[in-house]
Amino acid sequence: MTNKEKYKQAFSTLHPSGELSLEVEHMMLNNKKARFRTAIAAAAACLLLAGGSGAAYAANVGGIQRTIQLWIHGDQTNVDFEYSADGTYNMSYQKEDGSLEEQGGGGVAIDENGNERPLTEEELLEELNSPEVEYKEDGTVWIYYGEQKMEITDRFVDDVCYAKISNGEETLYMTIKYQDGYCISPDKYENPDSFN
Amino acid sequence: MRQSVQELFETYRNNLYAVAFNVCKNAEDAEDVVQDTFIQYYSLKKEFDNEQHIRAWLIRVAINKAKNMNRTFWRRNKMSLEDYMETLTFETPESEELFETVMHLPDKYRIVIHLFYYEDYTVHEIADILKISESNVKVRLSRGRGLLKEKLQEEWEDDE
Repeated sequence: MTNKEKYKQAFSTLHPSGELSLEVEHMMLNNKKARFRTAIAAAAACLLLAGGSGAAYAANVGGIQRTIQLWIHGDQTNVDFEYSADGTYNMSYQKEDGSLEEQGGGGVAIDENGNERPLTEEELLEELNSPEVEYKEDGTVWIYYGEQKMEITDRFVDDVCYAKISNGEETLYMTIKYQDGYCISPDKYENPDSFN
Repeated sequence: MRQSVQELFETYRNNLYAVAFNVCKNAEDAEDVVQDTFIQYYSLKKEFDNEQHIRAWLIRVAINKAKNMNRTFWRRNKMSLEDYMETLTFETPESEELFETVMHLPDKYRIVIHLFYYEDYTVHEIADILKISESNVKVRLSRGRGLLKEKLQEEWEDDE
């Protein structure tokens, strides 16, 4: 056997689970949730690189549910929010069309020594209120930060857009790669090559 | 051109899963990467030149997403590589040893080795997918092969 044949034989044992197949079949329904997770991950990567805390997805294990207000797509929205002490959360809210939107996630903070701890509820809410990017079905692209919203559809050059945004208290610098994640920094525009 | 997500999923899910697992060494993360990659394809209204263009794009996106998984310290009860390997069925003990040896290679050699030996990409194509120079690919390939030869000895042929 050639090395290629040996390699292919060894790695042909890798198969995703059947669960993934079902997930992909339903992903047109799920993609909102998945994109949210991806966005959080992209933001967290930069925060971690900057030495701060970040968020990442985790399965929820249950906690105390309460109703809070979060900025979602530029609108202050009542959200049923459930936080667990392991740094995870589930939340749901009613969209404009009356349908129920569910999202979940969670995260850890990494200290200077590389030790992990679950994010506190306050840190998670801060992450959830951080800027987000939405790709709408009509092809337009928007940034939301608090009550601010900005269309950036025509601001991409070579699939990269740089945007300075402020919620009135804090100014942030965003580097957005078209359909490929974004990075937020309080100091400067991050190099698009430094993430994803 | 565009192909349906379902069609691409049937054709490339195992390839994307293997390449993602190769980078993040975790089954659940690899599955998330595969799903997110297809979601990105579905969301992106990008036209491709041909099927090979789509394949290369899917693999590049999956690699990038898998790298992100590693960077973001996803909080999960991760199964160790050794435990996961116990759930896999290898055709021969040599296959198992090769798999384990590859998975213990340094990251930057492992992905280049995988794209060359599993996906049959050329040095030029790997450089394009990973956005690194061809000479860099050659160096990584050569060092990766050297480590495989050192560990596997006669089970791994000297090749170009």
